[in-house]
Amino acid sequence: MALLALLLSGCGSWSWGRRSAGPVGWGSADRQDPALSGNGRVLASVVRRDGRDTVLLQEQPSGTVLPLRHLGRLQPHRSPSLSWNGRYLALLVQEGPQRRVVIEDRATGRLHRLPLPGSLVPESLSLAADGRRLAIATEGDGRSRVQLYDLTALLEPDLPAGLPVRGAPGGAP
Amino acid sequence: MTAAGGRRMRTAAVAIVAALPPLLAGCMGPLPQPLVGLNQRLEAAGPARAPSLSGDWLALIVSQGGRDRVQLVDLRRQQPVPLPGLERPDAQPLSVAVDGRGERLALVRQLEGRTELVLYRRNLMALQPVPLQPPGVPRRVSLRADGRELAVEVSRQGQWQVDLIALP
Repeated sequence: MALLALLLSGCGSWSWGRRSAGPVGWGSADRQDPALSGNGRVLASVVRRDGRDTVLLQEQPSGTVLPLRHLGRLQPHRSPSLSWNGRYLALLVQEGPQRRVVIEDRATGRLHRLPLPGSLVPESLSLAADGRRLAIATEGDGRSRVQLYDLTALLEPDLPAGLPVRGAPGGAP
Repeated sequence: MTAAGGRRMRTAAVAIVAALPPLLAGCMGPLPQPLVGLNQRLEAAGPARAPSLSGDWLALIVSQGGRDRVQLVDLRRQQPVPLPGLERPDAQPLSVAVDGRGERLALVRQLEGRTELVLYRRNLMALQPVPLQPPGVPRRVSLRADGRELAVEVSRQGQWQVDLIALP
């Protein structure tokens, strides 16, 4: 049945539209850790810049580089993750000896720092497209684990255009 | 200092210390709240890494019985859902990404000495290889929330690049 469904879906003639994310503007720098915004209009990736792993935000498909306010001195950057419209960029940064989870709100310019219990070191993260939840993979106490956090008290939702905000006047219940 | 003065100093110090936590919390603003019930279930499932969160779905790689496997969790029901046709006991998952409907999963895995990128469609229970052109070795993958495009990190001739691939 699965095979039949696959055949009916036209898998034999699937064509994969593909393109490179393009030059990053710093020679032939490595580009790693890609993350697309929910609507695909912003790409975050990590490039080596002046010897330091730095997050790069680019509009798609133009490649125009988007500014970030707070992250310039917090390298190395790791594991960027974007909300639906790219309003929120969550990532791991280095502050002194500590690797920390931060979220930059590109609409307000605010940087949110998310504290973790002392023994846990964040390894990677994933922000839900609506900005309501965050998953963080950590190492600590001899174990790797994934934990979820509710961000609704911290962030406004970042939703597709035209989608009502729950709880807003005139919004869906 | 008189005894009364000392008492006043101690009282003031206690009041300041007591007021610090709410004052600091006010400076830091609201904090993210751990989803305790879900986290306990995730903890019980075994060591886990490489999360991908989208909509009400969480994909991650869980170690169970000495083997890494992909798990997709329905966050509304707080339960993993079956992924028939995705798993192979001889495959080692490296990176996984899920779309906002929990319908499509992009997966990088090692199998028979190769590292490959595949797309899994849950409603079809079917796995489709995603060829890389020019050829390269994939590592981390990310999927748009609407599932229509993926971004994958690819090693080619010693350099890491990012490919964007539209999905049919």
